[in-house]
Amino acid sequence: MLNVFVAGLAIGMVFAAVALMYNVMYSTSKVLSVTTGHLSMLGGVFGAYAISVLHLHWTIGLLAAVLVGAAFGWITELLGVRRILAKSDEHLWLLSTLALATIVQQLIGLWWGTEPKPFPRLIAQDFNAGLLDQKFWLPIGITLLMAVGLELFYKRTMYGKVFMAMSEDPFAARARGISTDQIRQMSYLLSGALGGLAGFAAGQLTFAYFALGLTLTLNGFIALAVGGLGSNIGALIGGIALGLLNAFVSHWFGGEYQQTMAVGLLLTVLLVKPEGLLGSRKLRPV
Amino acid sequence: MKHLNSKSTQLFLGILFCSSIPFWANDQYQIHIATLIGIYWVLVSGLNLVVGFTGQLSIGHVGLLSIGSYAFAILAGKLGFDPYLSMLVSGCLGGFCGLMLGLPSLRLPGFYFAMATMAFSLIVNELVLAQGDLTGGGIGLAGPLFPAPFESPIGFYYFVLAIATLFTWASLNIVRSMWGRALISIRDSEVAAQAMGVPIFRAKLIVFVFSGFAAGISGALFASLQSYITPDTFVFELSLFFFVCIIIGGKGSILGPFLGTVVLTALPELAAPLAKLGNLFYGILLLIVVLVIPEGIGRLADMFIQKIRPRLVKTEPMKPDLSRLAQTLVTYSDTKRGQK
Repeated sequence: MLNVFVAGLAIGMVFAAVALMYNVMYSTSKVLSVTTGHLSMLGGVFGAYAISVLHLHWTIGLLAAVLVGAAFGWITELLGVRRILAKSDEHLWLLSTLALATIVQQLIGLWWGTEPKPFPRLIAQDFNAGLLDQKFWLPIGITLLMAVGLELFYKRTMYGKVFMAMSEDPFAARARGISTDQIRQMSYLLSGALGGLAGFAAGQLTFAYFALGLTLTLNGFIALAVGGLGSNIGALIGGIALGLLNAFVSHWFGGEYQQTMAVGLLLTVLLVKPEGLLGSRKLRPV
Repeated sequence: MKHLNSKSTQLFLGILFCSSIPFWANDQYQIHIATLIGIYWVLVSGLNLVVGFTGQLSIGHVGLLSIGSYAFAILAGKLGFDPYLSMLVSGCLGGFCGLMLGLPSLRLPGFYFAMATMAFSLIVNELVLAQGDLTGGGIGLAGPLFPAPFESPIGFYYFVLAIATLFTWASLNIVRSMWGRALISIRDSEVAAQAMGVPIFRAKLIVFVFSGFAAGISGALFASLQSYITPDTFVFELSLFFFVCIIIGGKGSILGPFLGTVVLTALPELAAPLAKLGNLFYGILLLIVVLVIPEGIGRLADMFIQKIRPRLVKTEPMKPDLSRLAQTLVTYSDTKRGQK
């Protein structure tokens, strides 16, 4: 039973990491990008490529994962978000990020292959370490670190406060002399780097797999919507809840009903409390 | 001349052209592609009302297609019911599942709704694999043929053509009715539509159920055409394909998405390298369309036609009738003088 709990917690933390990335991008642009999960997928794939194929040290693999994630985050902002927000049509960003996500997924599928490939061990450890295996505690630790780091970043640093200002009111922020375009780009870079890091840390759990992006996009979003859009603690709670639900459902009923249960959780929460557990309600529709 | 431009005449000419395809098609394969286009169009015509007219971004219609296909294969193939009745039942089942999906998810805003429909398509695939006794699991099911006049490829093509025409006609009528206008108003501004007394949720739900019905019928035809269905057929990328057809064709148009369906289905078949890169190609096309021509290719055609043959604005120059003006002035000055 403890086994199921730890496995659920680990995968839940990966979902929570994706939810945190959604939050970082949402705070500055009010866009929920479909590419969010793909940022993590890229981290896993490029980390595995650098370590297993090119036989580089794992620190360089980590660097590669973070850099590729950040680069794709930057591309997302450049191609998928900036021009769309300039035109200010509500739905178009969904289409442009969906297109980008499809393109990157297919490119990785063509280059890396469509089979899940194993992610190398990062630290020398015996394979029968059981619950203390690094594939469980690496994603848990990294996500907790990310959450604490983001919280400190928002509360303690100048740029964090600028992010908060933009999330409150972009027009007012602009009027106070903040270059909103630049800050938005920074937030996408940051989110991409975090995504690469999370994908790298979770690689041994999820494998380096090209279709992982869509799964993470969906599950990370469910975690975010359950926890409440815009809340980092909510993202952690939602991610853990979803991961544990997934693990226990597949333990008791078999793996076939995972997705059904996840969406069941989403719809239940949205019907009872549409803004999520810790989200703030939008006051004016006009 | 005015008669030739009316919608029904254009529709009639289109049908006449489509009916002639079996007479000049080179081989069976081309008829197969034409039939496939017709089947996709049945689904896309329903989805177009949801995406293009109501502005609800459903990216999970492959789930409804899958439900229709499996319902048809089970009813007509396994249990041996009448194919026509089975097709109708699969349509109704598609509509019912659309209702069940729409009831919770249509209350959600844009991105939430898209994610809910995407999850729905994944759930359907998961359940199909889980219920192996009913659906054959990963091995799949055989889709039966339709009886006598429609069992040959050409006969089946005409059958699909008739159904596709029916759906085109229905969606044309819906769009022109008060309901259609209400849908467009929901797409353009939900709050304004609500203020004008449009029952937003009911309108969305009805049109979504209709699209579910279309998807169910389309699924039944699809199962019969492919003659064998497995869960691998109904991948999420197929959903994306339907969606891209509409976006590329242009929102708020019926001809545009139809052309989109034709081009996107036929293009990978005609150009061999594209078949392998199919999904990448759809992704790139979607990105280009969204960034460059968000109104869709249909709009581009409109602009092109305007350029070649600008719409004539009737001008009627008036020639001043000088003598009459002079006379009026004279009478006017006379009366003035008389008053003094």
